[in-house]
Amino acid sequence: MRGGMAEGAPILHVDLDAFYASVEQLRNPALRGKPIAVGGGVVLAASYEARQFGVRSAMPLRRARQLCPRLIVVPGDFSEYGPLSERVMDVCRRFTPLVEQISIDEAFLDVSGSIHLFGPSAEIAARLRHEVKDETGLVVSVGVARTKFLAKVASRVAKPDGMLVVAPDDELAFLHSLPVGLIWGVGPVTEAKLAQLGITTVAELAHTDRRTLERHLGPGAGAHLHALAWNRDPRPVVTHHRAKSVGAQSAFGGGGHDRGLRRRVLLDLAERVGSRLRKKGRAARTITVRVRFDDMSSVTRSVSLRAPVATTPAIASIAGHLADAGVAESAGRDVTLLAISTSNLTTSPHLQLELPFAELLGADLLRAGSAQERSRQGLDEAVDALRRRFGKEAVGRASLLLQHRRGVPDEFRDLASKD
Amino acid sequence: MRIRAERDDLADVLARAGRAVGTRSPLPILQGILCEVDSGVLRVTGTDTELTIRTTLEVEVLEEGRTLIPAKLAAEAVRKLPVGAVTVNAADGEVEITGNGPRFRLRELTVEDYPTVSVGGSGGGAAVDGDVLTRALAQVGVAASGDEARPTLTGVLFENEQDALRLVATDSYRLAVRDLEGVEGVSSTLVPFRALREVGRTIGDQKMTLDLGDRDATFSSDRGTLTVRVIEASFPNYRQLLPDSYPNRLVVSRAGLLEAVGRASLVAEDHIPVRLSMHEGGVELSVSRQEVGEETEHLEGAYDGEDMTIAFNTRYLTDGVSAVETDDVIIDTIDPLKPGLIRGDGDPAFRYLLMPVRL
Repeated sequence: MRGGMAEGAPILHVDLDAFYASVEQLRNPALRGKPIAVGGGVVLAASYEARQFGVRSAMPLRRARQLCPRLIVVPGDFSEYGPLSERVMDVCRRFTPLVEQISIDEAFLDVSGSIHLFGPSAEIAARLRHEVKDETGLVVSVGVARTKFLAKVASRVAKPDGMLVVAPDDELAFLHSLPVGLIWGVGPVTEAKLAQLGITTVAELAHTDRRTLERHLGPGAGAHLHALAWNRDPRPVVTHHRAKSVGAQSAFGGGGHDRGLRRRVLLDLAERVGSRLRKKGRAARTITVRVRFDDMSSVTRSVSLRAPVATTPAIASIAGHLADAGVAESAGRDVTLLAISTSNLTTSPHLQLELPFAELLGADLLRAGSAQERSRQGLDEAVDALRRRFGKEAVGRASLLLQHRRGVPDEFRDLASKD
Repeated sequence: MRIRAERDDLADVLARAGRAVGTRSPLPILQGILCEVDSGVLRVTGTDTELTIRTTLEVEVLEEGRTLIPAKLAAEAVRKLPVGAVTVNAADGEVEITGNGPRFRLRELTVEDYPTVSVGGSGGGAAVDGDVLTRALAQVGVAASGDEARPTLTGVLFENEQDALRLVATDSYRLAVRDLEGVEGVSSTLVPFRALREVGRTIGDQKMTLDLGDRDATFSSDRGTLTVRVIEASFPNYRQLLPDSYPNRLVVSRAGLLEAVGRASLVAEDHIPVRLSMHEGGVELSVSRQEVGEETEHLEGAYDGEDMTIAFNTRYLTDGVSAVETDDVIIDTIDPLKPGLIRGDGDPAFRYLLMPVRL
């Protein structure tokens, strides 16, 4: 596709190829060209050489080794990834201030205001790829299109080490030629459901009645996918948006049937989620817990509260109950991941206070305005302040500190957690 | 069992007793309503085992006996018959309900399986003006909690306070206290508000008696009897929350304040509080909501104290001011983080303590 045609395609999706694995190969030449995986109990990232064997991220390491016996596993140096990601984003910002970073290794760019400075978007994409490679040694793939959705699809098609421009006139032809699995938001489960309906390509998806999709996938997802199949995606690139939810997750290699371990993991997650909420001056009315099992299926449980909460013990306690309810459906499967998400966030610090009864009135953890919960807020605020001043490890909860070091450092968890 | 009665009278006793029948009862038998006839009287009983309501009606008795029929269906069937006399005939596992042509034949439930329910108190009990009681229950009831996770707070406390009966309820955000002069002989009892809500509309009458026991509380009148299992828990100590005096006092028109808060609520929705900035000459009400807008207004009144701004949940404030029965309402405050006290000017019988919203 010719660069000149891309005048009306101002959105770039920039995606670092096999980011963590690439960084490791960059740091250690002996790893180059070899199948490697970064991770502990589970694969956090796999090099392209490993992916050829079917190794995927989030896969248990045991399974990955079965698929690829020569797999080299490296623990990863997580302190490297954040700064490198930031350097790549800095390169992106040279071309436009409209950079929406959506994770550690991905960003959308809107270059519509930069074309008169740097030339057509395809040229910008090519220069960007070159400058990133030159300055960091990392490889990025870039998709260029008129919408965010299509740009993301294009970068997936372009990988590895490629770029793809979808000119406005070619959009539907391009999109309809693809398998449905390349659409953003179609995971293995949705893909299987669509296959049952005889839908394997985007063209087939587009020409299926919307109501049929709504019936089989639910009203929201059905209508959304149908719109995407016709390339209807009006979302702009937003450089700074208010988070709608704050969450964190933790994968572990096994032992998730141990309630004590789950409680500690959830307390750790609640601490991370809670401190981020508090840093933003926000509180959540809805708490959701996701429990993933070793067959990759998962259940979610959520609760909406009368009063928003932001303290670590409150979030941990509610999440504990939700996780127990989720685990009750495990049917013997082991738990491999726990996630807490808080949503329905309130900005206002308005808090309906409770009458200062001397007695405990029950379930006070769920009630932000109770005298007891207000004293916990005081503790959290003190801990947050200490950590701001002396660092994360300065102070912590005894039940977490007394444990063995976790496989994945907090720095990485915070990078990977998305608001 | 066979009786004849006027449609409206029969529909009335069935519907009132039927209010104790839960719609989601785990036991199918409790979906039934018990009808017993002897000595010229029909007694209708509905229960969910916690709450039991019995109504009575003088009827033309053709044959004494008893039967158990589906509560909702029977009450609706009678109500929808043509006006005039209705005959109910229970025999051979069926209940026939007829009147002026239409004929229902309903399957009878097994009356032997119906639980034994206690109805009525030990006798005696305290006499109380039914209108006053019903009004008082509504005044404190707004403060009772609907949260079943905190059962203690779903009740209304009945207790003796000098020569008065005192009713108290709280959901931990507000506390309502109402004293009824001249009602004596009441022991301290916690009664579910869920049941009290039914007192007025099921058995409410001018003359009522109140009988509070260790297990049950019974309200009775000529229109029937309501018995409810009491909550066996101790009510939190509310007396320590009611200070003797307040440094700041605002007096404004009740109607004016209600209208003003009503306007503020349009912008506030549930979780945004209304701010009351009190100063000499009255109070400034304001509410603002991001992405929606704001509303402000000034309400004339008398204020004695330091200039102060306090914020309240609009619904809780409306509940309290509505419950006041005088033309002017008093709002006493200490500071923006301590509870304010709302009451009628010149009416010491009702007090509504409301915790503010922290801004």
